[in-house]
Amino acid sequence: MTAVIAKGVVKSFGVGDTRTLALRGADLEARAGEMTFLVGPSGCGKTTLISILAAMLSPDDGEVSVFGESPFRLRRSQLTRFRMRTVGFVFQQFNLLPALDAAENAAVPLIVQGVSTGKALKKASDLLDRLGLSGSAYKLPGQLSGGQQQRVAIARALIHEPRLVVCDEPTASLDAASGRAVMELLRDVAVSPERAAIVVTHDDRVYSFADRIATMADGRVVATTTTIASRDKETG
Amino acid sequence: MISIALKMLFGDPVKLAGLVLGIAFSTLLMTQQGGFFISLISRASNIVGEAKGVDVWVIDPQTETAEGPKPMRDVELFRVRGVDGVADASPLVQSTATLRTAERRSIAATFLGVDDARLLGINPQFVIGTPEDLRRPDAIAIDRLGFSKLWPGEPLGPGKVIEVNDRRAVVVAITDALPGFSAPVIVYTRISQALAYTPGGRNRLSYILVRLAPGADAGAAVARISEQTGLKALTSAQLQRMTIGYVLANTGIAPSFGVVIALGAIVGILVSGLTFTLFVSDNLKQFAVLKAVGVSNLRLLGMVATQALVVAFIGYAIGLFIATSFFDGVNKPLSDLKGFWLPWQVAALSAGAVLAIVLIASLVSIRRVLSLDPATVFRG
Ligand SMILES: Nc1ncnc2c1ncn2[C@@H]1O[C@H](COP(=O)(O)OP(=O)(O)O)[C@@H](O)[C@H]1O
Ligand SMILES: [Mg+2]
Repeated sequence: MTAVIAKGVVKSFGVGDTRTLALRGADLEARAGEMTFLVGPSGCGKTTLISILAAMLSPDDGEVSVFGESPFRLRRSQLTRFRMRTVGFVFQQFNLLPALDAAENAAVPLIVQGVSTGKALKKASDLLDRLGLSGSAYKLPGQLSGGQQQRVAIARALIHEPRLVVCDEPTASLDAASGRAVMELLRDVAVSPERAAIVVTHDDRVYSFADRIATMADGRVVATTTTIASRDKETG
Repeated sequence: MISIALKMLFGDPVKLAGLVLGIAFSTLLMTQQGGFFISLISRASNIVGEAKGVDVWVIDPQTETAEGPKPMRDVELFRVRGVDGVADASPLVQSTATLRTAERRSIAATFLGVDDARLLGINPQFVIGTPEDLRRPDAIAIDRLGFSKLWPGEPLGPGKVIEVNDRRAVVVAITDALPGFSAPVIVYTRISQALAYTPGGRNRLSYILVRLAPGADAGAAVARISEQTGLKALTSAQLQRMTIGYVLANTGIAPSFGVVIALGAIVGILVSGLTFTLFVSDNLKQFAVLKAVGVSNLRLLGMVATQALVVAFIGYAIGLFIATSFFDGVNKPLSDLKGFWLPWQVAALSAGAVLAIVLIASLVSIRRVLSLDPATVFRG
């Protein structure tokens, strides 16, 4: 099932001499139940494109549909609520709140949605257990390794069961082993039949985790290929 | 969300301390100086406040302050007594003279001479002796602060003989009178003696103290007295207000305290405002993350406001505690700052100023949070 469709998306930053055209008509499709990788050289517009797909940045032109909804036709407050319900994020810099412990960080999206703190924390520590962080629920981000912090961030991205998960270079700040571990985990927990996962990376060591790879260059998606992983799934 | 806001705040103890201390310092400066100022100028009206049982004060129309009454003729006393609604009127003479001890210590004092028969107009607590003791020859009652200055280290007690303008005076009683503004030491004596201590003839009444007939309306009586005698009649509260107004208008006290209080507020605004802005901008990335996961601007506003209010509350409580401890510490019977207190109005005004400070600081910082683009979370 096609989950995310972007058609002819254009986005520019700045005005006059400093104006940069980050996206020049980008097209992308991502399916539910799949992990789509967005790859390409630095500056080609990957971050800009997933920011738009995640309803955090509005495009100048083009069409975006996420599970049948067009987020940019929503009013501002509804857009915020759309993001809260529909999208989970993982960032290169983890972006955990340093004053909150691991469970509290993971619970933030639920608390934002109004779930009681007790329930949210319970669910968060269960999820952290599943992600291999059983002993770390009460640790502050500063007490965790990079790989552990990124797992907390993955827990935060998944805890409210969003239908779209976007990850921007989730392994770029990690060493090879932790990067691999994080990818395995994402593959394991982020992919489910009703959910689409889009992962930006230029780390070719992890390409084997993708179902589909969209390659970008200069503000456009120039090629899309399916990979061994998805062919395995189809045949197996 | 509130608990997340508080954790962000308490998770940064260094900045929290800076914020709280800035507010505490500015609260302390405002309340301590404000209270000091009010207490100091109120001293000018202490003789009025202490004379309980007086319904109306009659003064010469030229009189501007309770500490500098213009003399009235003796006959005015009888004219006031003749006014409808006046149950009783008794004279009070106020003058300033220097007390000299056998040990050659001297001090300026405010003399209050009360009616020989009625002894009306005395009201402070008597620590030793009673007002009746003033009927004895050469008798005066001095306040305990004055006593301790004239006979330092000696136990309070009657019987001390002193000299006032070459005349003998005997301390028969000791009061707990609150200090005056121009001459802190307060001496009560009979009117005849107060007149004898300072040169000049008769016709030197400072005040005529009126007690109204039961049920008489004070406002109407005040109007009648003024009208029928050509003198000025005021209630105690009116005379106190007039006196404080006079001190404010005729001394440099208000501007000099005003400068310090304003400095307190400005330092508070600068220190707390800058630290709070710094705190928020340091946390901008965290606010962006919250925005990305779907926290609305309104709730972010609530978070920042909560942080600001908590800081304000803690800082204000600390500053107020130190200020009240100061006033508790100095308001002792033998202290030069006897009677100094922190009026609740000063505390309330300072609370208002602190609220304004954090409100301004959070408004300045929240603008950056509100205009924050959630997509910045994807940027390194
Ligand atoms: N907020 C911004 N302001 C100005 N230029 C930007 C901004 N974000 C991205 N760009 C520019 O847009 C282009 C695409 O950036 P980005 O989407 O971050 O690329 P990638 O993630 O593929 O490295 C770059 O040239 C970048 O400099
Ligand atoms: Mg990027």
